[in-house]
Amino acid sequence: MAIKRRTVITAATLALPAIRGASAQAAKTITFGGSIPLSGGAAETGLNVNNGYKTAVQFINEQGGVEIGGTRYKLDLKLFDDASDPSRAVNLIQRQLDDGVDFFLGSFGSNIVLPTAAVTERAEKPMVQAGGGSDQIFGQGYKYVFGMFPRATRQFRSTAAFIKTLMPPVQNYSVIFTNDAFSKTAAQGVMAAMKDQGIPMLESYSFPETITDASSVLASIRAKTPEALVCMTHDQDNLLIAKQMIATGTNVNLLFQGLGPQLGSFRETLGKSANGIYFQTYWDERAPLKDRFFGTPKDFAAYYRKNNSRPIAYHVSAGAACIVTYIEAMMAAKSIDPVKVRDALATIDVNTQYARIKFTEQGDGDPVIMGPWVGQVVGGAPEVIAPANAKTASYTYPTPPWSQRS
Amino acid sequence: MLVAAVRRRAWWILLGVVLFAAAAFLPFVTTPFYVRVGQLVLLSSALGLAWTLLGGFAGYWSFGNSAFIGLGAFAAGIFEVELMKGQPWLGFALGLLLGAAISGLAASVVAWPILRLRGIYFAVAMLGISQVLAELNNNIDIFKGSMGLVLPRLSAFGLRPEALYFYLLLIATILITILAFAIQHSRIGAGLMAIREDEDTARMLGVPTERYKVTMFIASAALTGALGVIYAHSLGYITTSSVYRTEFSLNMIVYNLLGGIGTLIGPFLGSAIMVILTQVVLGRLLSIHMFVTGALLVLLVLVAPKGITGLVRALRQRWSAR
Amino acid sequence: MLALQTIADGLVLGGLYALSAVGFSLIFGVMGVVNLSHGALVMVGAYLAWFFWHALGLDPLVTIPVVMLCLGAFGYVYQRGLIQLAVDRSSHVASMLVTFGVALMLRNTLVLVFSPDLRSITPSYSGHPLLLGGIVIDPVRLAALGASLVLLGALALILNRSRMGRVIRATAQQELAARLCGVNAHHVYGLTFAVAAAFAGAAGAILGIVLPFSPPDEGLWTMNAFVVVTLGGVGSPQGALLGGLLLGVMATGTSQLIGPAFPNAMMFAVLVAMLLIRPSGLLGNAFAGSR
Repeated sequence: MAIKRRTVITAATLALPAIRGASAQAAKTITFGGSIPLSGGAAETGLNVNNGYKTAVQFINEQGGVEIGGTRYKLDLKLFDDASDPSRAVNLIQRQLDDGVDFFLGSFGSNIVLPTAAVTERAEKPMVQAGGGSDQIFGQGYKYVFGMFPRATRQFRSTAAFIKTLMPPVQNYSVIFTNDAFSKTAAQGVMAAMKDQGIPMLESYSFPETITDASSVLASIRAKTPEALVCMTHDQDNLLIAKQMIATGTNVNLLFQGLGPQLGSFRETLGKSANGIYFQTYWDERAPLKDRFFGTPKDFAAYYRKNNSRPIAYHVSAGAACIVTYIEAMMAAKSIDPVKVRDALATIDVNTQYARIKFTEQGDGDPVIMGPWVGQVVGGAPEVIAPANAKTASYTYPTPPWSQRS
Repeated sequence: MLVAAVRRRAWWILLGVVLFAAAAFLPFVTTPFYVRVGQLVLLSSALGLAWTLLGGFAGYWSFGNSAFIGLGAFAAGIFEVELMKGQPWLGFALGLLLGAAISGLAASVVAWPILRLRGIYFAVAMLGISQVLAELNNNIDIFKGSMGLVLPRLSAFGLRPEALYFYLLLIATILITILAFAIQHSRIGAGLMAIREDEDTARMLGVPTERYKVTMFIASAALTGALGVIYAHSLGYITTSSVYRTEFSLNMIVYNLLGGIGTLIGPFLGSAIMVILTQVVLGRLLSIHMFVTGALLVLLVLVAPKGITGLVRALRQRWSAR
Repeated sequence: MLALQTIADGLVLGGLYALSAVGFSLIFGVMGVVNLSHGALVMVGAYLAWFFWHALGLDPLVTIPVVMLCLGAFGYVYQRGLIQLAVDRSSHVASMLVTFGVALMLRNTLVLVFSPDLRSITPSYSGHPLLLGGIVIDPVRLAALGASLVLLGALALILNRSRMGRVIRATAQQELAARLCGVNAHHVYGLTFAVAAAFAGAAGAILGIVLPFSPPDEGLWTMNAFVVVTLGGVGSPQGALLGGLLLGVMATGTSQLIGPAFPNAMMFAVLVAMLLIRPSGLLGNAFAGSR
């Protein structure tokens, strides 16, 4: 009895917006469900991705919604905090499925994404996510899971190719990673890509999931200095490593940090010392792209800034692109049937303000088309230095020691 | 007096049978979400019961039982992935035994020294042990803790996965309940309660305190390990942080505390209330979910320090005194 | 050379560990409460210091007194309003759950107020490594170590020389006897908690200039405090200092000798071993917590 009553209430709440819509313009609603980590360790990224989703939904609704197969739809978001707890995430995803949500956005970290993807996959509902890049997610033979980044092991290919072109040639490198699925697979990707380029590795350093002190590793690095140091760790860890390198005068010709230098707060903290740090980026405001809804990346950023005080980051853009990609796929399929939308996602090839979107057969981003650009901090700002067609500044190599940066 | 006690016991058994039988129908009458909620309630109750064998009966509060969830899950996981390809059910059955055995073994190794510690020192030592194991599991490559393990998928009788794991957990919970009931009403149960009330006096009176404590510690660990194996399978993919969760350890205590420490119904009441509150009622909260969970914990200790069973008992006493 | 550098790095790190744990040690030693919200208090301190630095441009080392005052006041109210209630109504072990609940609430509040972004404080004197006979030392960390030592010394003075310190110690050793002598035990517990929270705040302010931080780090600082306290012994600044420095050297040493992935594992292994061998810590005197 209690359950019945609850079902009725749920049905009523679900019907509410529809009724309101009917009185206005007979607009229907497409609901996107999913979880984001807002209280765990990945909360910063979670917030950025969430802001991206919200920006896209708000913008499209302000335009009066979208027309798919002759029907006009408004968009709605229903997200919950998974607290980085896999069983909680799975349960609440199931609840959304039961409530009739057909389209899912992803969480962060493979230990959340994989168990939830197993549920949505079984229900044949697509999941487009911008927070799980490790290879395991795309090695399960899932047909309904798509990622906004290439799998972690493929993310370094373009950067390794770039490093190979540097003069004087880079003779060796060392790599730092933390023991979590993403960072570790990314580091494996570095090793493979560098091997392909014929650059030998001096040393690899693995840390626990969060780094609290890097002093002894930096002492080792000073004793056995590589020409390039590649840090495949998360933002906070990278900032800690950079800070400690500066404070102990640990210098290398090339410092590459996968995540972090893209963020304003990161560069602000390091001040002029940030100049010269290499990174990779998936998005730049100046990129020559055009989105059906937002226009150029610059237009997107302007719209975002108008509505948010939080600084923009590439995860915001990727989040918005998840929604836009969905809509593009729905328009291509002329339907909001989840299976048809999935098929359209699998073959999609479209420009958004984030990137040209094209997925591999396994669902991750195409490593060439959606692969990262190489960036460097120049004059306190993140600039793209390779490839040539997206270049916004020229690079410095070897980077001067910390004490001589300006 | 004795007759009344026996009759009361019969009532409890009857109640248990009826409730478990009713639970078996859940997957037929409700949506998958509520089956999953039921799954979690069962898992939490069973974990709480396993914890209470030592924590509730003997008063040794472990703050690190997640160590055994992790040990069981990864021992079985590695075994099944490496050696049991293509035989999911055989692998699962053996993995269940292996998970329990490894957890029990680990417990027996540390049992003698660690059970000399009392009160908060025991609690902290267990917390430490779970942290050591989690760190080792995550940082030594052969344990696959950081890269994660994809466990073989189980299926049977065309059941949906949530129903399958619901039944597996239901069976596990029933077995653990029977075991806990038997222990509680045995000589060893009485001995454990004596330890809880006053360990030194109990020993003086001839209760083999060490043997009882060690036995319960190992039993508690082995059962927790087996539950870890089922939990890991229900997720399908685990990393260190999915099983070695400090929240697990703390939740086992919370469920018992909320329901009533030392009782068998306690973990059921506690986990049902907490799971329904955090997942059903508060499930849709986005940014203040953690705050509300914390506030609930605080309220729980302040309002019902003896748990719901304690509250009921107090109310009944007041009522009968009138 | 590498060995010396490792030890120097460890000692500098250890000062911070010591300061961050002393409040935890005091609460555990005096009232037998394990404060799982300790790390959250440290983080509150870090965010307050960050706020003063970010909004007003004040150096964290200057604003430490303000941060300590804020957290001290909070600590007093927290103890009298919640923890004492929990201890009275339930038990010491149950009060641990209350502190865990508060930790969750504080962490969520920090996320809501300051966003989950990582923060970091960059004082003007950062970024110029000091060279001492071939050993490289980060001046910021040296300053942090200095400030920690000064604060720990001050706390030792308060506890050993002042009237308040005597009353706190007396209550810790014999609550009943202290009560009979006219001590308001609850007030003393409140004060102890205030002092402990104030020092947690100070530690937060100092860690803010050394490490980038974000709200979820609170768990880490609680865990560190556990290890420091079991190593050094409960209830005294000396114990915390010894435990902190040992922990620091152990962390960098493990990192160097076994591998950078293992300091945490080593830390907790030592924690368990210490509990088994000498539960009162190296300098420990049995206080309320161990009874």
